Amino acid sequence: MTGPGSSPHTAFQAVALPHLDAVYRYAYALARDRSLAEDLTQDTFLQALRHWDQFTPGTNARAWLFTICRNLFLRQRERRAREEPTEAATLDGLTADAQAFAAPSDGGRALFDAPELGDVIRRELDKLPAEYREVVELSDLQDQSYADIAQVLGVPLGTVKSRLFRGRRMLQEALVDYARDAGLLPPPGSDE
Amino acid sequence: MSDCQEVIQQLWEYLDGELPDGEAAEIRLHLSECAHCNPQYEFQLGLLEALVKAYAAREVPQPEFVRRLKAALDVIGNDLT
Repeated sequence: MTGPGSSPHTAFQAVALPHLDAVYRYAYALARDRSLAEDLTQDTFLQALRHWDQFTPGTNARAWLFTICRNLFLRQRERRAREEPTEAATLDGLTADAQAFAAPSDGGRALFDAPELGDVIRRELDKLPAEYREVVELSDLQDQSYADIAQVLGVPLGTVKSRLFRGRRMLQEALVDYARDAGLLPPPGSDE
Repeated sequence: MSDCQEVIQQLWEYLDGELPDGEAAEIRLHLSECAHCNPQYEFQLGLLEALVKAYAAREVPQPEFVRRLKAALDVIGNDLT
């Protein structure tokens, strides 16, 4: 990966820096605030450069940076709010029912053609519990594989799948509720 | 050959490109022939496409921030060299 005569800094610039936008977006997804996202991104890249010798050339640099970013975020959050309980423990152990959600008979075309859909999706994704939102972000917006997400989050592959499928299911349910309220889909029971 | 229930169970993994080639090919074949599974496939695919579209023009780092960050990295990087 590093050619003869090239420094760690040069290799870092070539391999890590191209992921700056993605890391910033991930930091923003975690922190939900521009200034915090900038701090988090900066800390991520500074730490990554200092520990560049721990990166294995040829592996997924973006996932490696996400891992650093998330660890920093969790440490900062812990420091800020030790007393805030998280519901992480109750969110694991999800079952296969998370995978199946009865789709509208037309595949939801009217819903997906609605011009306001982007606003609705962003609002509903924001409402997801953090444990689900982050896997949806990593998979669907950052294009990371299940294995890479498991590495970033430090959880088993099965947990990634169950959280991802459950998170998407929640989004599907919310979108269908929205579509029914907006008259884009018929009420339950009338279209089957 | 896959039945509908199996296909629906594996649909997210199929859409995510996480299935081995053989299993993915079976699902592709099933979907090409099955009117029952197609709305489910369309709905799941629609969600993934809508997510990407919803965030296509989202937060990007400000140029001033990028400039400051690169300068800070250069300082540390030069110390490492």
